[in-house]
Amino acid sequence: MNLGRTIYNALFRRTSTFVVTIVVGGFIFERVFDEGMDNVWENMNRGKLWNHIKHRYAEDADEADE
Amino acid sequence: MFSSKCISPGFSRYLTASTTHLAHYLKGAPAVVIPTVETVPSPPESFTNLSMSKLIPKGNLVATTKHIGNTQVRFSHTDVSMPDFSSYRRQSSLDPNIPNSTEINRRAFTYLMVAGMGITGVHIGKNVVVDFLSTMSASADVLALAKIEWRGKPLFVRRRSADEVEDVRNVDTASLRDPEDDQARVVKDDWLVVIGVCTHLGCVPIANAGEFGGYYCPCHGSHYDVSGRIRKGPAPLNLEVPEYTFLDENTMVVG
Repeated sequence: MNLGRTIYNALFRRTSTFVVTIVVGGFIFERVFDEGMDNVWENMNRGKLWNHIKHRYAEDADEADE
Repeated sequence: MFSSKCISPGFSRYLTASTTHLAHYLKGAPAVVIPTVETVPSPPESFTNLSMSKLIPKGNLVATTKHIGNTQVRFSHTDVSMPDFSSYRRQSSLDPNIPNSTEINRRAFTYLMVAGMGITGVHIGKNVVVDFLSTMSASADVLALAKIEWRGKPLFVRRRSADEVEDVRNVDTASLRDPEDDQARVVKDDWLVVIGVCTHLGCVPIANAGEFGGYYCPCHGSHYDVSGRIRKGPAPLNLEVPEYTFLDENTMVVG
């Protein structure tokens, strides 16, 4: 129950810190949102991407180099 | 209960105004002030030292204010009871005697919601602006073309289909502004290499555009065909062909 008070006093009490919270939160949100959505997309397309099937051909390439 | 009393010094014994509190459904007549007449002794007629000395103010000067005008009767609504909001209140704020412990947390939650909306709004706004601005930037194919440079000028390398080659070779050379045969402009039939600078005023033409499917200069509307020859618009000359050789099937050297 003390968490709300701490957050309120630290971030929301003044307009200046409130706006800073929103802007900084925007950066964090964008990062998290983009990464999260990329992960979701890669999970839905598991096995279809080059990164997922690369190892099959990388061995061949190594052998060819040898 | 409301009452007022107007007091003027000297007459306070005689003049009192008071109103009576009345519930509104018992509207009574307002209290009436009954004027009292007082006989004031007439001033002395003769102006003697004694009589005049009586007119001189003695002692401290006193200023008084008077309440002028009608007093009003107010009918307060004592029959209206205070509404009970307790059914709308949360458990933690029901008892006014207990300090409200959850208020700060509820306020923090409200502001958190507002901040969340703000963050979403900032994110959406940023993406709208970025999307809008990115429509103004050069597209990927233009950028890729512009990356190939030769002596500081953009170099256009284009693979032509057999149909395109046939088209440009069937054009009557004499009808062109800058008569030049297509065979003289290419080393291999299917590869066209020209310098991407418009011969009019030096803009960079756009590939795969214009009426002849070759290049189109957006500055003043010069149309070039698939051989890089000027066909329409203000440009006087064909696009310049640099010197180049093919070392082997996959390698070309310009210059």
